Amino acid sequence: MKQLISGNDAIFEGAFRAGATYFAGYPISPTSEILQRAALRSEEDPKFHFLQAEDEIAAAIATISASLAGAKAFTATSGPGFSLMQEALGWGHVVEAPCVFVNSMRVGPSTGMPTQPAQSDLLQIKAGSAGDYYPIAFYPHSVEECFRLTVTAFNAAEESLSPVILLADAFLSHLYELVDLEKIKTEIVARSKGPLGKGQRLFTGTAHDKIGNVKTSDPVIYREWLAELKDRHFRVAEKYPLFDYLPCKDSNILLIAFGITSRIISALKERFSIFRPIRIYPVLEKELKEVTQSYPRIIVIEGSDGQYASWVEWAIGRKVMKVPCLGGGFKLKWIQSQIEDRLRGEGR
Amino acid sequence: MMDRSYKELLKMRRFPHTWCPGCGIGSVLKNVAMVMKELGWSDKDTVAVSGIGCSGRMSGYMNLDAVHTPHGRALTAAETIKTVRPDLNVVVLSGDGDLGSIGGNHLLHTYRRNPDITVFCNDNEIYGLTGGQAGPTTPQGTKTITSPRGEPYLPLRFGRILTQQAPYFYARTTVYHLNHFKTCIREALSWKGFSFVDVISDCIELNGRRLGFKTAHQMFKWFDERFHVVEGVRDHLQEDELGIAKREVEEVSKPKEEVKVEVAVAAEQLKPFTLDELQTFDGTEGKPIYTAYKGKVYDLSKSPLFQGEKRMRCHIAGKDLTQDIDVAPHGEDLIFKFPLVGRLV
Repeated sequence: MKQLISGNDAIFEGAFRAGATYFAGYPISPTSEILQRAALRSEEDPKFHFLQAEDEIAAAIATISASLAGAKAFTATSGPGFSLMQEALGWGHVVEAPCVFVNSMRVGPSTGMPTQPAQSDLLQIKAGSAGDYYPIAFYPHSVEECFRLTVTAFNAAEESLSPVILLADAFLSHLYELVDLEKIKTEIVARSKGPLGKGQRLFTGTAHDKIGNVKTSDPVIYREWLAELKDRHFRVAEKYPLFDYLPCKDSNILLIAFGITSRIISALKERFSIFRPIRIYPVLEKELKEVTQSYPRIIVIEGSDGQYASWVEWAIGRKVMKVPCLGGGFKLKWIQSQIEDRLRGEGR
Repeated sequence: MMDRSYKELLKMRRFPHTWCPGCGIGSVLKNVAMVMKELGWSDKDTVAVSGIGCSGRMSGYMNLDAVHTPHGRALTAAETIKTVRPDLNVVVLSGDGDLGSIGGNHLLHTYRRNPDITVFCNDNEIYGLTGGQAGPTTPQGTKTITSPRGEPYLPLRFGRILTQQAPYFYARTTVYHLNHFKTCIREALSWKGFSFVDVISDCIELNGRRLGFKTAHQMFKWFDERFHVVEGVRDHLQEDELGIAKREVEEVSKPKEEVKVEVAVAAEQLKPFTLDELQTFDGTEGKPIYTAYKGKVYDLSKSPLFQGEKRMRCHIAGKDLTQDIDVAPHGEDLIFKFPLVGRLV
């Protein structure tokens, strides 16, 4: 049966399909609806636990602790809350807790424009917490994809034993579309980690050896541990090389956009080729190299001041043109005029 | 011979431990393990959670599944583990800086939500691991490396904060009063709900020596001078008392005042008002605000909505409001809250 549901609803239902039994969150626009749905679900289903935490720090810690305790857990927030969750995100990578963090982006920094969409938390997913870590992040662009990718995110989390980030934006969170969830087929990866009460393990954020002994001054053990973590994350990420490529025969210009911007510029597919990365991090290095080599001119259209563009430049080793849609201004006409300006050599 | 079976609950292979000689944390760890063993808890049904700091290392020495959280987040982690796995016993082993300072918000809210977990706070009144900085429980006037002229602020008093809202269980004890300490651990572990044991402990290396103590034992003697054990169940503890303050339910608040005073007063005894007379009591020039309802006059001077003005949003002072109330979104019960002062003639 087709239902008219929003991106937030689809994310929640996707998590439920994947087997999530724990949600912790703190009210924030634009993901409060996920928190509300979780509260309702916990009343209907005694196996589903829910915590409205005192802040996002607690929400994120609760999500990871629930995962260690044996539940498939997730949390949802927006930019400012995601900033508070960074500590837990780093911890989640070290204690190897599979869980999902949903970050529906809005205009920042700080409180910014709470109801306006943005795509400016990309660097935050990679570099928000201290130290080196390699999170996997996906970014859907439709309500149906919100559902599918939430399941994918849970699967990738179980495989990589780490928090996986599902990005969205204020636009997508509140976008309503007709979707038939029952007809969507999904594969679900079961829990791989034993729950608490199974032995004498130590889950610590401190550097440790394989059996969980704290080792705070041994570079060899640390290097081995980090190499193993990196290898595992990139191996799992390779299983999900998700992107969308719409070549246009008459064009030698490639537009790169993702999330809601890719949805908006899909109206230009008759004039330009369009590449849409779905796995945002680790960056689709190989795929970007392959696709971009036949295009002399590349324009990255995104809701931040060149965050993804800098990754594209790093991946393909040459300069690209940028159209930053800032302050929630995602109008097709405006984007079109900016593209024309760039092609004439104006702007940046 | 002494029962040493509690060692099954400790990772003896990791000893010697990381703490300084004379530190009180070892005593906390050992006594908690002893009482757990007494109660028959094992690695199959118990989880230890710690924060960061010297005391945060305790969970790593427990022969249990242990969670070592980021700084200050032990309580949230423990609460969640108990939510997801109610069959596990969850114990938090942490310190005063972790629980009271960086985790202060979590302390308030975990206490409010009352999960069935037990918290052991190694309260040594200093940040030991980082070198002896003033902590949230450092007494006023104490010289530390971050308060060279003496700590300027009053300390955070767990005993006061955590005994404000029932249900609560707060015990204060020291690492020196061993029998009392064990009693507190036993009672706290058996308590259904959030229980907090404030263990006054010593940090000889980074606090004691600066205070003029030469050995840890001198600090223990100092605890003996500062505190005395009180027996029996209490609601609150004074700052120099060691004991247990607990309460299961909030004291029942006073019965509400009778709302319908008007029934008791016979109509003839009330002061008669005409409509013209009533109009003069409109709140201007310091006069009270009277309004009539169904033939009776009420004093609305205390209504927050009038605030000394003649008119609030919908009603006018000095008028008969019978018809107004009939169409108002609220019922007549609002007007019965106010004192009855007369009748309309």
